[in-house]
Amino acid sequence: MMRRPDEQAPGSAEEVRRPGEEVRETIPPVDGRNIDPEIGALMGEGALQRVRDVNAPPHGEASWIGPPPSDVPDTPVPTYYGVPTLKEPVWKWYIPGYFYLGGLSGACAALGAAAELMDGRAMASLSRRCRLVAAGGGVGSAALLIADLGRPARFLNMLRVFRPSSPMNVGTWIVSAFGACAGLAALPSIVPVPRTVRRMADVASVGAGVIGLPLTAYTGVLLAGTAVPLWQGARRALPILFACSAAASAASLLDLFPARRRASVAVHRFGAAAKAAEVAMTVALERQVAAVPRVAEPLRTGVTGGLWRAAQGLFAASLVTTLVPGWHRRLRLFGALLGTAGAVALRFALIEGGRRSARDPLATFVQQRAGGGAREVPELESPRRHPESERSGAAAGGERGFQLTDRGQHA
Amino acid sequence: MTTGQMGFFTDTTLCIGCKACEVACKQWNQLPDDGFRLTGMSFDNTGQLGASTWRHVAFVERPEALPGQGSPLDGAKLADGAFSWLMMSDVCKHCERAGCLEACPTGAILRTEFGSVYVQPDVCNGCGYCVSACPFGVVDRREDDGRAWKCTLCYDRLKEDLVPACAKACPTASIQFGEIGELKERARQRVEQLHERGVGEAYLYGADAVNQPGTEGLHAFFLLCDVPEKYNLPPDPVVPTKKLGESWRAMAWGIAGLAALAVGSVLSARSGP
Amino acid sequence: MAEAHPVGFRWVMEAKNRGATIIHVDPRFSRTSSVADLYVRIRPGSDIAFLGGLVRYVIENERYFKEYVLHYTNAATLIDERFRDTEDLGGLFSGWDPKEAYDPETWQYEGVGGVVPATGHKEVFAEKGAGRVDLRGVKVLRRKEDPTLQHPRSVFQILRRHFSRYTPEMVEDTCGVPQALFLRVAETLCQNSGRDRTSAFCYAVGWTQHTVGVQYIRTASILQLLLGNMGRTGGGILALRGHTTIQGSTDCATLYDLLPGYLPMPHAVQDAKLENYVRNNQPATHWWSEMPKYIVSLLKAWYGEAATRENDFGFGWLPQLTGNHSHMTTVADMADGKLKGYFVMGENPAAGSMNGALHRKGLRKLDWLVVRDFPLNETAEFWRTAPEIARGEVRTEDIQTEVFFFPAATHTEKDGSFTNTQRMLQWHHKAIEAPGDCRSDLWFAYHLGKRLKAMYAGSSLERDRGIQALTLDYPVLGPHDEPDVQAVVKEISGFTVADGKPVPGFTKLADDGSTACGCWIYSGVYADGVNQAARRKPRSQQSWVAPEWGWAWPANRRLMYNRASADPEGKPWSERKRYVWWDEAQKRWSGYDVPDFVADRPPSYRPPPDARGLAAISGIDPFIMQADGKGWLFAPSGLLDGPLPTHYEPLESVIPNPIYPEQQCNPARDEYPRRENPYHLPYDDPRFPYVITTYRLTEHHTAGGMSRWLSWLCELQPEMFCEISRELAREKGVENAGWVTITTARAEIECRVLVTDRFKPLRAGGRVIHTIGLPYHWSYVGRITGDPANELIPFVADPNVSIQESKAFTGNLRPGRLSFGRRAATDGVELRQPEPPFSPPRDKPGVRDPKYLPAQEPPK
Repeated sequence: MMRRPDEQAPGSAEEVRRPGEEVRETIPPVDGRNIDPEIGALMGEGALQRVRDVNAPPHGEASWIGPPPSDVPDTPVPTYYGVPTLKEPVWKWYIPGYFYLGGLSGACAALGAAAELMDGRAMASLSRRCRLVAAGGGVGSAALLIADLGRPARFLNMLRVFRPSSPMNVGTWIVSAFGACAGLAALPSIVPVPRTVRRMADVASVGAGVIGLPLTAYTGVLLAGTAVPLWQGARRALPILFACSAAASAASLLDLFPARRRASVAVHRFGAAAKAAEVAMTVALERQVAAVPRVAEPLRTGVTGGLWRAAQGLFAASLVTTLVPGWHRRLRLFGALLGTAGAVALRFALIEGGRRSARDPLATFVQQRAGGGAREVPELESPRRHPESERSGAAAGGERGFQLTDRGQHA
Repeated sequence: MTTGQMGFFTDTTLCIGCKACEVACKQWNQLPDDGFRLTGMSFDNTGQLGASTWRHVAFVERPEALPGQGSPLDGAKLADGAFSWLMMSDVCKHCERAGCLEACPTGAILRTEFGSVYVQPDVCNGCGYCVSACPFGVVDRREDDGRAWKCTLCYDRLKEDLVPACAKACPTASIQFGEIGELKERARQRVEQLHERGVGEAYLYGADAVNQPGTEGLHAFFLLCDVPEKYNLPPDPVVPTKKLGESWRAMAWGIAGLAALAVGSVLSARSGP
Repeated sequence: MAEAHPVGFRWVMEAKNRGATIIHVDPRFSRTSSVADLYVRIRPGSDIAFLGGLVRYVIENERYFKEYVLHYTNAATLIDERFRDTEDLGGLFSGWDPKEAYDPETWQYEGVGGVVPATGHKEVFAEKGAGRVDLRGVKVLRRKEDPTLQHPRSVFQILRRHFSRYTPEMVEDTCGVPQALFLRVAETLCQNSGRDRTSAFCYAVGWTQHTVGVQYIRTASILQLLLGNMGRTGGGILALRGHTTIQGSTDCATLYDLLPGYLPMPHAVQDAKLENYVRNNQPATHWWSEMPKYIVSLLKAWYGEAATRENDFGFGWLPQLTGNHSHMTTVADMADGKLKGYFVMGENPAAGSMNGALHRKGLRKLDWLVVRDFPLNETAEFWRTAPEIARGEVRTEDIQTEVFFFPAATHTEKDGSFTNTQRMLQWHHKAIEAPGDCRSDLWFAYHLGKRLKAMYAGSSLERDRGIQALTLDYPVLGPHDEPDVQAVVKEISGFTVADGKPVPGFTKLADDGSTACGCWIYSGVYADGVNQAARRKPRSQQSWVAPEWGWAWPANRRLMYNRASADPEGKPWSERKRYVWWDEAQKRWSGYDVPDFVADRPPSYRPPPDARGLAAISGIDPFIMQADGKGWLFAPSGLLDGPLPTHYEPLESVIPNPIYPEQQCNPARDEYPRRENPYHLPYDDPRFPYVITTYRLTEHHTAGGMSRWLSWLCELQPEMFCEISRELAREKGVENAGWVTITTARAEIECRVLVTDRFKPLRAGGRVIHTIGLPYHWSYVGRITGDPANELIPFVADPNVSIQESKAFTGNLRPGRLSFGRRAATDGVELRQPEPPFSPPRDKPGVRDPKYLPAQEPPK
């Protein structure tokens, strides 16, 4: 209706309530299930789901509110409004933390065991220190792992089964075994114990050393065993990189404490070699991943890219410090800190990079179009060479895809 | 011949995007809503499969004509500007080789007698590994209760010889449920029929091991009319464990090197600097 | 159809799979379009031009079904020589008088002398010949015909002349449909009609909600009659109804001007005498001449013993019309304080009806309001959450209305029947006891009636006799005294008063008070004391017509007028379309369905010129309800806005009428000129340059009363939005999923935007026309809320059925959100700008307010 100036509605936008607001509050508390507990029973397959805040979207605020379908950027391969194809890893900071700690303690145990076996008397303090670090690391690792679970109380369910196909399951067994050995090995240096126990501890220490080895590297397999393009692309380099990085971080830590000459020489050489290998492996990994440039993006751009480069730089710097001839206490401390920082940065760069990679549908699509999907599985030949599949049309889909790609680029 | 192996055949050429499957699924399985927000992505306000969305209808608006769909005339060619609106009801694929199942460290995920992949909510400890291991981005952890959730192929209904809720609700038989062998046969015939009727685009996605070696075939496969990416499906998905051998081997090398390094450095130190 | 009737649409997909061609004509590219073979984008409000173009194509190219047209339609009938067509009078028919009403006298058949009665429309008290049974088509059988269809005054030639303007070029310019596309549709339609093939039309409110809504359907009927698609399998015109069993509620008289079974509501203009009523409505010939039996049986059903021949069976107790009491008129009266109380049952006018602000003003002026629904909907909450209250214009404490809310039982909580769009009744059984105070509508109506009877029991006033006489004697069941539905069904179906035995069907009803029947067309649904609607025999155990699944009115007939499925000799038009035929051996009509004809009347029968009643039905009169037994290409009566459909622009249009430049809109439209209901009449008006149309989404139900409280549906379409083309978005600088403000002369709303290729600008009237699409599911209460699109829609109605024009009106769109200070009652910038002059004149001089006449020169 035409309203004369004098009948302007009072109140500005701010003062006025939005219609319906208070009524929405009067609606009885709902859990989004539309079930009246008075009448209906919760017994469906999803009945156990808990709803804390009925108004909170479970995926978090939509980060992918789309452009108009027609305006979706013209990518080499089409996407569905840029909506992620994969689910992001749900892991919190505990996991990269654990990767560092676990690797560290594993490598320490290995080095310590080696020291005991080869040069026990001379390196008693080193091996004792290694035992303590391993034990502490083992306990810390377990704590971090449990903390990250959605249902920490059910941690032991991990040990219900032994499932070689699941790196996480294998890893849990490794961590548990390692924790037990390392704990027992460290016992004598914490509390006075009878001789027999000390004997067992010595054996356990060797055991920890042996189990410590896979502990440093299986986490690489763990990441590789996902659908995340970045991690899958890096699956050959990851375990080795983690092993080297574990050794380097172990050396860096041990460098922080004063030690007898022979021991510190051993640690120094151990670290130097590890750091060199580490730097080499980061380069190798990046090259592997960069086979499909889109997949390597998280390592080259943005925060994750920065972290990755930082890690590389820190390793290199740390390596340089170790290569300086002569004995400079300060320099060694500095190098140790650089190495530790690098190791931590590396873990976070890889995990966060993986998250980004999972968020990017193109990473998945391009990688698979470029043959990074099932086609590169050795025992499988490409479906496109299968006469059978011609009929079923899969090839048609595949071929068409590539044509589209071309068209997309020309457009 | 019935193997008792059940599955879905989703024929997108019959889908009218009514979302009855989404609602029927939520109602039967008593799933909470996913929150209320407009995405701006055509009529798709659910966006993706998730912990509490086990069926999801995708709406693809594309500036290309969709030939015939089976009857003599082709409207898109005549209408102003080539345009078509594809719809697809997405769901857990219940892969023959399931990434989530092989990754699950607790054995919470298992293969049922119907061939479906099932997450036992009373066992799952929410490690989240299956979430990253699924090549289709299906499984999701609901942070509210820390467990992984996904379509169960209506296990409780199958136990009672009922058809899954979504297939039951689908008005146009776009979602067909049945014994997997029969479904595949039906699907192949449908594709041939569509090809005869000039819909050359039609093809099967994930019908079997040949069609999709990475998963060795899906228990919920699709008839599509455009590249998989348009529907947010990976073009050549693979269950990660298939590639894991290389990683284990690499790890072996890694730890061998590490052992050598440890021993070497100690020995070299003993033999003096 | 896929959008609003997805479950019914499965059969369309089935047909498509068997090679049927799906053509979808719609301003909006919907889910239906996505699977259609041919999608036609059309300018909202121009369908008569499109269908008229098809009619012309069929006639000019001789594609009509000659035998069918000649024998089964009134094509050959000659029309009164005084008749003048819109061709002659520039957009008006003869008989227009300044009182803004048509007098159908000149539209009549030659030689009949009087109004040829149309069946089942409003009581003809205004028409010439009313009250004179001798003029009410007595001589219908003496009408003049020209079998050659060449006579210039034959309906066929009139039809040809009338639609001669609707050329493909004109269609393109009026509807924005490319000629090639239009011709493709026409050709497909013709190729798929005839002896061997039939085409069906499905429509919904996209056709009806216009100021010329009824004429839309008429055009389709003409087309289907010309193509011979009526009364045959796979043919016909299917009205997709908007709610479950809204068909049933119409059958049983929810409309103010109808009694059950489409008996006209009596008018108060004459003494309330049964004989007057019968004289005014009973034709001399064909089936509707039976109507006295139906009204008397109805009165017996309602008043029982009290209804006797002496007291006219209580006819005088029936409420009588004093004029137009349609929805809009009632609400307008309400706003003027003329109404005290208002029952709202299963409806949500404050959100679901046009110009919600005016509705709410009406509600504020009531003494009491009763709302029966599932949730506390907008109508129940109008006094505390309405926009004008949020805005501070109205204070709750100033509202006098006392609001009563009664929670209603859902269909799963009560027995009852659904009547679907094919007139088929299907029974649904109670699955669970209604919780708390929820009760069925039947319970409410019954107990309300009981209490009224108790209140009036002592009255000696004559006017209260009606309530006193009401039987309301159904047995009650259960803890809540729920009336026995079976008893109601029995009464609706009809029974013989003497022994209370159910009648087999309406043919057994009598006008002497010996039978009672609550709704004659439903007669037989309780035949043999069995609830026929509850039958559930699987199709595998019966013929493909499935006569034993549910029950269809009339007489369990699945296809009406099915006599037309056979040729004049009574043989099927073709083997493929075999349905009902004359069985020479049995001397009866037989077939897969219940024949819609006098069972034993041979095709060869021709009535004597003075025949009356059923005897007047010739062997080749398939449309037995009409006084002449023919399908009406030309409607001599029954319509208040002309015997033939004519393209008029919507009341609010952005272009002048391309076909009849002299007459812009339907001259007979019902307007409601009020301050709260301003119209936007100019075209080429920069203030309101766009066409707006409203519609539904699959995810929600009408105004949302049944869906906006259910989170599983809310999440699927959570927010109010509009759909616009990329071109308009670019022009306006609007982002996808951003906010816009939409303004009409009445109101202003804000909503999100979907920018999509499903909408495109089109060229019509030599201009580029942008259409804005608005779903109307949101409002200010519920789990999700949003601005109601219906706030924007004017009160203006089709004269025949008083339906609003919500499918085509004008408005403007601005990026950004509005300040709540202006919400829902605009003082927007648009209205502060001067109104541009009209040119050429919208309406003929005298048709409407002089202020609409040309004032200045046309704007350069």
